[in-house]
Amino acid sequence: MDILEVSHITKAFGAKKVLNDLNFSVPEHSVFGFIGQNGAGKTTTMKMVLGLLESDKGEIFVNGEKVTFGQNNTNKYIGYLPDVPEFYGFMTPREYLSMCGQITGMHKEEIKEKSAELLKLVGLKAENKRIKGFSRGMKQRLGIAQALLNSPKLLICDEPTSALDPMGRKEILDILSSVKEHTTVIFSTHILSDVERICDRIAVLHKGKIALSGTLEEIKGIRNGDSIEIEFLTEQDTDTFWSIYSSGEKTGRTKLFFPKRTEHEMMEMMGCLSQNQIPVLRLERLEPTLEDLFLEVVGR
Amino acid sequence: MKQLTAFIKKDFLEQLRTGKMMILGILFCLFGILNPATAKMMPWLLEIMSEQLAESGMNITEMKVDALTSWTQFFKNMPLLLIVFIVMFSAILITEYQKGTLINVITKGLKRWKIVISKMLIMTAFWTLGYLITFGITYGYNVYLWDNSIAQNLLFTVLGYYLVGLWLISVVLLASTASKSASAVTLTAGAAYVLSHLLSFFPSFKEYVPTFLMSSSELLAGTIRSEQCLAAVGITTFMIISNIVLSVAIFNKRAI
Repeated sequence: MDILEVSHITKAFGAKKVLNDLNFSVPEHSVFGFIGQNGAGKTTTMKMVLGLLESDKGEIFVNGEKVTFGQNNTNKYIGYLPDVPEFYGFMTPREYLSMCGQITGMHKEEIKEKSAELLKLVGLKAENKRIKGFSRGMKQRLGIAQALLNSPKLLICDEPTSALDPMGRKEILDILSSVKEHTTVIFSTHILSDVERICDRIAVLHKGKIALSGTLEEIKGIRNGDSIEIEFLTEQDTDTFWSIYSSGEKTGRTKLFFPKRTEHEMMEMMGCLSQNQIPVLRLERLEPTLEDLFLEVVGR
Repeated sequence: MKQLTAFIKKDFLEQLRTGKMMILGILFCLFGILNPATAKMMPWLLEIMSEQLAESGMNITEMKVDALTSWTQFFKNMPLLLIVFIVMFSAILITEYQKGTLINVITKGLKRWKIVISKMLIMTAFWTLGYLITFGITYGYNVYLWDNSIAQNLLFTVLGYYLVGLWLISVVLLASTASKSASAVTLTAGAAYVLSHLLSFFPSFKEYVPTFLMSSSELLAGTIRSEQCLAAVGITTFMIISNIVLSVAIFNKRAI
């Protein structure tokens, strides 16, 4: 079942159309990477899923229930981590979580147990000072604890790692992948290495639409050929082969590079190599990185 | 109910820990003492200045000070206190949008009307308590120094002023749900007050606007009877309630 379904969403701010007939869905128990450039409309989409912004057109369903703008009842299924989570600085983390727990209707014991567990998970167990003095990373971690407090079916994180140092990023990503058994995670980002690290499905948002979506394998599968790199033993061999396949690029003294070749073309090349008795040091099929795909999609 | 109390508790804690509660407490106490003190010192001050005044042609005869002088001070100082109060609370909801602190609690399922009601309750509680402090202190000193029975309609006049305060608080609430900056909120409250005053210049409106309840000197002297104010009390109460209802309705549809 799809935990989230976004159908035909359109949204404009003034004359600027941010989302244009946006459609996608997220199946349960996946880590869904929502990728897009800065200003592509990722936060806008998320805020609409939460009923914080009104869409001009279209419908959104969370766990099969329709999202309504304003007083939104589907928020009980959702935990949300904003891009810059803001808290009441005069409270301690424990007090804050206790307030959140009371708001979601948890029992006193349950709140106590769950807050202790989550504060331990995010590494804020020993923090008893007020949130006012927290660093950005600490706030991000408290944000995750807050979002997971009511054991949500869907965890939405808006660029959880973009402002953190490598250490903080790794911690956040580890936490996110550790909760995926119980929770579906949607996480928006423009850091592609993070996506490759923990996501199993992705969607690329570009010009208000989903430009590319699917599982990570599928996405890497839809390509019009991989690049091939061949390294020869001698420069003479290199030039001999280059004279046959002149469409390649000589990238080194003994290296040739062939962009975008199909599997069939690759077989032919290998046949040609063996026919002409040219030994190679290395023949490598280079998989496109997510970055290549992303750049291709956004047209740069 | 649990949601509402949790949020009220947070709002209260905010006033306490950010020091606002202490500042308000000190201010309300200070004004409470200031009213009788000014009245008590008036003859003495005038005596000091009498020579100067005599030079400019004014003759000071013996001045009689009583509880009425002190109450006059009370009602003269109250608007000032009210202005301070409103400026201090003009950002009560606005900072929550500006900082984005509401996003967490709303996405946790907090019903939006509870946020509005909590803000109203906090402001009302502080206004009520502060007003009681100032009134209590002034009343106490007046009993000790003079005699309060000289002031007519005292309780009614005091309650009338209190109601005007509540009305302006409800305006602050309404403006907070509709605007984006604290200064806009303060301006709206100011505009509401000025408008009410301007309307009172028309004889046909005079008795029906909230600010009519601030005609303290006439009420204390007995030239306006309390029954004459009932229409204004009714209208003000109605406006308070409709402001609250409107605030909830607007806030429910506000993009956050």
